[in-house]
Amino acid sequence: MSAAKGEHFVQGNEACVEGAMSAGVRFFAGYPITPSTEIAEGLAQRFKGTNGVFLQMEDEIACISAVIGASWGGVKSMTATSGPGFSLMQEAIGYAAMSETPIVIVNVMRGGPSTGQPTRASQGDVMQTRYGSHGDYQIIAFAPASVQEMFDLTLESFNYAEKYRVPAFLLSDAEVGHMRGLLSIPEHLRIVDRKEKGIKRADEAYDVPDDLVHPFPTFGKGHKAMVTGMTHSENSRIEPEDVKTHQELVTRLSEKILKNRKDINKWELVSPDSKTMIISYGASALGPKEVATKDQRVGLLRLKSLWPLPEEPIFEAASQCERILVCEMNLGMMYWPIRRIALEAGCKKIELLSKIGGEPPTPSDVRHKLRGMGAI
Amino acid sequence: MEIFDFYRKDRWPHVFCPGCGNGTVMNCFYRAFNELNLPLDKTAFVGGIGCSSRIPLYISSDALHTTHGRAIAFATGLKLSKPDLKVVVFTGDGDLGAIGGNHFINGCRRNVDMTVICINNNIYGMTGGQASITTPHDFMSTTTPYGNKEYPFDLAELAVAAGANYVARWTTRHVHELTKTMKTALQKKGFAFVEVISQCPTNFGRRNKMADPTQMLEWFKESSVRREKVRTAAVDHFDLNMAGQITIGEFVDRNRECYEELIGVEKHG
Amino acid sequence: MKPVIDKRLCKGCNVCVYICPKKCYSRGADISEMGYYTAVVSEPEKCYNHKREGKLICELCVLSCPDQAISWHPETEEELKK
Repeated sequence: MSAAKGEHFVQGNEACVEGAMSAGVRFFAGYPITPSTEIAEGLAQRFKGTNGVFLQMEDEIACISAVIGASWGGVKSMTATSGPGFSLMQEAIGYAAMSETPIVIVNVMRGGPSTGQPTRASQGDVMQTRYGSHGDYQIIAFAPASVQEMFDLTLESFNYAEKYRVPAFLLSDAEVGHMRGLLSIPEHLRIVDRKEKGIKRADEAYDVPDDLVHPFPTFGKGHKAMVTGMTHSENSRIEPEDVKTHQELVTRLSEKILKNRKDINKWELVSPDSKTMIISYGASALGPKEVATKDQRVGLLRLKSLWPLPEEPIFEAASQCERILVCEMNLGMMYWPIRRIALEAGCKKIELLSKIGGEPPTPSDVRHKLRGMGAI
Repeated sequence: MEIFDFYRKDRWPHVFCPGCGNGTVMNCFYRAFNELNLPLDKTAFVGGIGCSSRIPLYISSDALHTTHGRAIAFATGLKLSKPDLKVVVFTGDGDLGAIGGNHFINGCRRNVDMTVICINNNIYGMTGGQASITTPHDFMSTTTPYGNKEYPFDLAELAVAAGANYVARWTTRHVHELTKTMKTALQKKGFAFVEVISQCPTNFGRRNKMADPTQMLEWFKESSVRREKVRTAAVDHFDLNMAGQITIGEFVDRNRECYEELIGVEKHG
Repeated sequence: MKPVIDKRLCKGCNVCVYICPKKCYSRGADISEMGYYTAVVSEPEKCYNHKREGKLICELCVLSCPDQAISWHPETEEELKK
């Protein structure tokens, strides 16, 4: 039963639930953790009367493992957690990347490290999302900044997870997760389903070449699929000792994402011709957006997807401005790759407005920083 | 079907050591499965990490070779997403009882319909012979070079206490009983747990004066005693310490509602 | 039926030698292609299934063999005559 079309006034986490239902999620395994618990509770209720399965597992490792197992049964599956649970899930996330299992993980980020600030926002997990598990792999991650985007980007997370057979992440935070606002569910939604082995269908996923993303051998259909986290080759030979097999496999896992950056990456621009560009994402972008909207001298590049790194829009913005201000709710994480790209693009002044403690940067904070930079 | 229609002939000879009990368990499992005429393409096999966890990859069906200790969690998701699929888990003592302990006891409690075969060789074999949570007290391993100071878990008794619908334990010396039990377990609704005490001559036997697999099999025979004959309070079992006595038999056969029944899951294809 | 050991699969563990209640097997003295001292079926006529067709009486060796190296084959004309 998908969400009712039209307008709703809901909490960010509730919008996420609706996004998942609209995508066709049929399996959720979660563990209570503030500030994500509403997502688990919401799906526990919404699955009633559908053939969706809700499980509260014994720990987050069990959650992510069950979600991966369910995906092999052929259904769209997800989990939702926050920092401490996210850390527990890293091994399995690497497994999902290696075995190319489409899954969605929602991380409603909170103050860390460790137990930190369970009820306050942060953006401290953005690097962990990309590098949390061991080894080389690429993932897809979105950063919603509103209730509407909690819906839209949850749906997109499913679409891209299915299309590229990869774990996709929704990086929300305690502010965006718990804020209330308008959600508008349109009549028509773009929904992508994974391409299945032995079946041909008109679906976006089938546009991706088979040698980049192999068709998915759903269990129970006689494919005799051999799924493993060990290094394996095309025809499912398990070859942990073979140098070439490993090179080919791990390179392909990266290529399939990096080659499709244009398709995956999403961003919003406000006054892109400004001499000063703020680059931000999620809750951190709310203050900057207000400043950029009201002051012509300042523009904003708001990243809606964080991974794969949106090199192109960052380069574009940096090459046209004189200075960049990165705003984030951590001590500087996206700042470093953004800085690298900006320097390459010829922009010499790149500064950081770093706000931790739970409150997003306010328009005052941003203006104060910009004044210090001589931008306004 | 012939044994090499059930197993992937192109992967033989398998990687298990000469005399490894895994191969014996594979024979019994094939027999049980075949005698029940179960559809192989509607059965999925899940394993964790370890020698016995590799068995699913040797079977000519869908196999999910997962992360260390988490096979039951993966299997739970797989089974509930596709309830008409039969799910069988192959795991080991360390994979199930150490790192996987939490998933093991919750799996028994939740009682999802699956068959779990734990091949207990009392050691971490694949990584070279480190002590496991079922290594008997005083026995030698690479991490207990002066004798194991700890006492072992009794995995089957844990499963009974945690609520599994069916629990049995045999050894690789008891191939007929094991085959029969596997048939029962495969047909049982709910969480069916079969523990098989099995020989690892290379990494357990060799360090404990039983380098020859036949010595280990003889040791199993001598140490085995029917559970009905020695059933005492759980706390006493710790003193029994596998080295002295292996209780074998069918421990419990009950009919608690399985998880699928409890949540009313419709069969979706 | 008589037991036959596939020498490409046998790893010379000798579990068959140990388990057979009629002592039909013995430890081998020759190295196989795979590098193992494979076991030998030294006294097949002692086997419970000797010259039997249909349901076999004992299969302890086949069930126990860790390498699936033993299988049942019907005796040859000559073997049947013995």
